[in-house]
Amino acid sequence: MSLFNTLIPSLNRAEARPSADAGPTVKPAYEIKETGEAFALTVYLPGVAKDGLELTAEGNELRINGRRAWRQPSDWTAVYRESDDVPYALVLTHDNTVDADKIAAELTDGVLRATLPKAEALKPRKIAVS
Amino acid sequence: MRLVRYVYPDNRSFAPVSGGLNRSPWSGLETEIDRLFESALGSLDTTRGSRFPVDLYEDKDHTYVRAELPGVNRNDINVEVVDGFLTITATRKQKEGDQEQSFSFRRSINVPDQVQSDKVGAAYENGVLTVTLPKREEAKPKKITVAVK
Repeated sequence: MSLFNTLIPSLNRAEARPSADAGPTVKPAYEIKETGEAFALTVYLPGVAKDGLELTAEGNELRINGRRAWRQPSDWTAVYRESDDVPYALVLTHDNTVDADKIAAELTDGVLRATLPKAEALKPRKIAVS
Repeated sequence: MRLVRYVYPDNRSFAPVSGGLNRSPWSGLETEIDRLFESALGSLDTTRGSRFPVDLYEDKDHTYVRAELPGVNRNDINVEVVDGFLTITATRKQKEGDQEQSFSFRRSINVPDQVQSDKVGAAYENGVLTVTLPKREEAKPKKITVAVK
């Protein structure tokens, strides 16, 4: 069995999905643009207010969790639904190329814009030829 | 789901690296399969494109339409009611350096006839637009008490 497990690494891999106790989540729409200095991340989180948003950078992972600020009032009945009420969750993996201390993010009108600066060691460097 | 640029697999990425015992002989194939699944499942995302999700709610006196329109300036949202159709038009403008990108959304929803189209209100908060459509007096549920002799 151990040989079998070494042959198929996914059996040894940690569970990729967040644990079940967190409940169901949806993956928000997002965009990543790369410049020489940084990655520009745009995540569309309609319905999320600033206090419902969590941005965690740990190791080579960047986690974005957003709770929706709006709750359906008790006297409203849903006639037709297309959106979900469940929180947003997005996990992005990177190869430690992001300087976690310098991440800047702002949330306006349900759009999270984050700048993920590249680590110094990875930035392109111009070498002067003498 | 990765910030790493996609590298076309070659012999090296599939072949085991000699000396690296931790690296499995399948790791190249494994990331390749992960990537294929992610790109295939990513296309199921229906929230993109010009059709934004819309919810319809109702209470005693009003009909509410909630539309998810993240990142749109309030001035660029246009709500109109014509012939029982509620049309929401929005333009998202993004500044990219000195260029400006814009993207337009448009959607029409058939609203119930019993709406007072001259008293429609709209509010925009956290990227969600809520349109309040009051019902006509005659459409509201009426309570008639009949005295029994």
